[in-house]
Amino acid sequence: MRIVVLVKPVPDPGEERLGDDGRLDRSVSAVINGNDEYVLEAALKLVEAHGGEVTLLSMAPAGITDPIRKALAMGATRAVLVTDPALAGACSWSTTQVLAAALRTLEYDLVLAGADTSDGGGGVVAAGVATLLGLPYLSHARRIEPFDGGVRVERLSAAGHDVLEATLPAVVVGTQLLGEPRYPSLRGIMGARSKEIAVRTLAEIGLADRPVGGAHATTALLAARRPAPRGSGRVVRDPDPVAAASAIVDFLVERRAL
Amino acid sequence: MGGEIWVVGEVDAAGALTKLSGEAATAARALGEAGGREVTGIVVAPEPDGAAASLAAFLPTVLAVRAPEMARRAAAAVVAARIVALAAAAQERPAYFVLSATPDGRDLAGMLSVLLEIGVIVNATGLTWDAAADGVPAGPRVEMQPFGGRVLTSSGFTGERGIILLRPNMVTAEPLAVPGSVEECTTGEVVDLPLVRVIERVVTESPGPSIEEARVIVAGGRGVGGPDGFAGLRELAGLLGGAVGASRAAVDAGWIDYATQIGQTGKTVKPAVYLAFGVSGAIQHKVGMQTAETIIAVDRDPDAPIGEFADLFVVADLAAVVPALAAALRARAG
Amino acid sequence: MRRPGCGRCYDRRVVAAPALGRLTDDQRAIRDAVRTLARERVAPRAAEIDRSAEFPEDLRVLLAEQGILGLPFPERHGGLGADLLTVCLAIEALSAACATTGLILAVQELGALPLLLAGSEEQLGRFVPGLASGRDLAAFALTEADAGSDAAAIRTRAVRDGETYVISGAKRFISHGSVASLVTVFAVTDPEADRHRRISAFVVETASPGFSVSRLEHKMGIRGSPTAELAFDDVRVPAANLLGAEGDGFRLAMRTLDRSRPGIAAQAVGIAQGALDVAAAYAGQRRQFGKAIGEFQLVQGLLADMDARTEAARQLLYTACEEIERGAPDAGRWSALCKLVAGDAAMAVTTDAVQVLGGYGYLDDFPVERMMRDAKITQLYEGTQQIQRLVIARALLARKP
Repeated sequence: MRIVVLVKPVPDPGEERLGDDGRLDRSVSAVINGNDEYVLEAALKLVEAHGGEVTLLSMAPAGITDPIRKALAMGATRAVLVTDPALAGACSWSTTQVLAAALRTLEYDLVLAGADTSDGGGGVVAAGVATLLGLPYLSHARRIEPFDGGVRVERLSAAGHDVLEATLPAVVVGTQLLGEPRYPSLRGIMGARSKEIAVRTLAEIGLADRPVGGAHATTALLAARRPAPRGSGRVVRDPDPVAAASAIVDFLVERRAL
Repeated sequence: MGGEIWVVGEVDAAGALTKLSGEAATAARALGEAGGREVTGIVVAPEPDGAAASLAAFLPTVLAVRAPEMARRAAAAVVAARIVALAAAAQERPAYFVLSATPDGRDLAGMLSVLLEIGVIVNATGLTWDAAADGVPAGPRVEMQPFGGRVLTSSGFTGERGIILLRPNMVTAEPLAVPGSVEECTTGEVVDLPLVRVIERVVTESPGPSIEEARVIVAGGRGVGGPDGFAGLRELAGLLGGAVGASRAAVDAGWIDYATQIGQTGKTVKPAVYLAFGVSGAIQHKVGMQTAETIIAVDRDPDAPIGEFADLFVVADLAAVVPALAAALRARAG
Repeated sequence: MRRPGCGRCYDRRVVAAPALGRLTDDQRAIRDAVRTLARERVAPRAAEIDRSAEFPEDLRVLLAEQGILGLPFPERHGGLGADLLTVCLAIEALSAACATTGLILAVQELGALPLLLAGSEEQLGRFVPGLASGRDLAAFALTEADAGSDAAAIRTRAVRDGETYVISGAKRFISHGSVASLVTVFAVTDPEADRHRRISAFVVETASPGFSVSRLEHKMGIRGSPTAELAFDDVRVPAANLLGAEGDGFRLAMRTLDRSRPGIAAQAVGIAQGALDVAAAYAGQRRQFGKAIGEFQLVQGLLADMDARTEAARQLLYTACEEIERGAPDAGRWSALCKLVAGDAAMAVTTDAVQVLGGYGYLDDFPVERMMRDAKITQLYEGTQQIQRLVIARALLARKP
């Protein structure tokens, strides 16, 4: 089974900041988006059970390879990194076009992506990619199970879950419930150095003349500011239980929440 | 007058309109008034009439699109295909969409974005209409609070079209004085999207306010100590008319369902009151809840990070505080 | 991976590189990965390991699965072929969370070093794969009740009998003696020979009849690491398990310690760093007299000295690793220098960490009292600090003017 996992390097959660240009400052240490690690783990397990290989596909600035190396160290076979100066400031619509175009140059049975990203991404890209490629789209998966020629997915719903089926190739978006990602083993880390990270420009995926990238962004950031800091809170230390309860009730009343 | 604003209402498992759809409609209506645009609601469902009528409480015109295949097919592709068809048949193509920032809303937005070639702004926390500025035409200005609210941003669309995904609890749903009308609508086939079969729908959750919609959330973390500890929190949530949430540590420990998880890989919430019990307040949790209006935390550890951003921080043993608080709330209720 | 033996790391050190610059990409990546594992999986177990004084079998499995126990072994026999500095980076990272867990790797290396240094290809092929995969643990059995610092005075005998040697005697203070599958045993093969030619080294499988663990010690620190007294009651060992030639044992033991002491220095640096991290975080949070205690200059002085001692020990350790790896003629001196400095740093820094935490530091609610107890052993084993000074002074005095 040939699986492509879409991975996005994001700033280490908690460290994110916007640069002077209002764009996300990508110089802070990058990690793989948390939700992408869960689907990568699912992909590795699928390949361990059914054979095949895992290709990582990422769109990121050229310098950001550490998170991709880490994903390779976890066990992915190779990586394709689409990078182009024109992509700085790309919107989700552009990202969708780019990832779909890159996928057209790859062979796969299944494309996996994580639910939304921690850098403010909205989890809309994978649906667009599936639509552009004319593939079935199954989202919010807590379980992914291939069968002959198809894939069965348990999709979380508001009330429980739905069992979905589609033919392969398909695009599946997964959640944390797919299972805890593994630690890269030291052997994996050392092996990852020699794995291929194929770098592709826009021209190389056939988008040279298409209106994608920062210059064609469909959305624009107009202003960014820090929110007013929360006033420093009240602390009640070691009260007896009744005093603690009444402190909380009084506070709720004060805030008109009761 | 420019293109319309369309609001796509979501239906729940029982076929009823979701609460968030009313909020999206209210936000879109205000946007339409400010920008001088018509606002139309759309409900696509196997039996759309009830939900369409509910949506018409907020909007002057609602299109009810009967899509029987949705009973056995995943929603997004069905709804996206119908909306593309409606847009193609409309006199003027719609300019803006306001959708719910839910899994279904995101799926639909991703599909519509490429089918209609328009941009998406996700996780809106506020919505206004503004004049042209900075090379961006007059249109919606969308406020977001990325990175768990550590930054406030305002964004717009560079073209005069776009999709906005609105987060829950950002506006209060306000019905019209006079409900609007529902128009039954059929659509032709414009795009052919691969459909995904629904083999089975499994219902496991008991109904109650979802944590994304609840005004009060009672959340538990590692400090709760075990699944039994959540029983006390459920009682508190019941007394406060709220929902129970959890940190990842509690979910990972298997004490409570993933559906309740708040934080980076769980849900992002903005309740009026967030009561945290035994939640340390690690950054991964903080990003999911720190925009709550009021945060009250109870934890044994005086150095727990949550103490730094809670409005009220009670350093105490949960095991004693939870029942005492429940007793105090029951006494108040009489 | 690139080995410093190629000279590149060594050259780079000459141009006053920043602390990170001397490490290769592989070394940094491995250190970071082990650090993450230590923080997320080892640290939460440390207090319980200390309290129960039980060998953390779960963490041994984790280290094996992650390939960490394979670091010191050659790639052709299933290891990762890491250089000494990389092994020490891993020991340091683990020890910052739990000294007992850091010692699992340090002892694996110590126990296997005689085999790696003197073993034939046949012996390596027989024993290394099990060690590299982490399935088998190794131990190093030199010390006896009456032969500690004076290692040449051991009395355990190995007598040749056809194609086997018969080993009899007892060993004491043997780390992992009760959990190892393979023990490198030093025994007297020729009582009449010169003091340094009496001893030979053997790989003994602990499943052999006559081998037994006669007691486990109750210790002040590294309490999860079993320290055993071993009894050899006519244990028959194939002659094929003799490492090197008869009489090579003492020299092999000394060469082993030259290479293994940096592992203990790494454990010491890790313990010091772990204590410093706790103390610095505490000083930033604990408030007295209306401000964080870290704002008081007397506390700042303590913290600064702790950092300086830790970093000095670390840089000496890294230099020693590079010198030993490149085959420096005074490898023994480097190895003794780094163990001496790091062991004393660990003891001083952990003691000061307890001081920074005040009364809380004395309670087992905080990890620094454990770290202080753990630190003490680094001044004692693999040669006391006094022995290290002897080694260093002898090397100095032997230098030609």
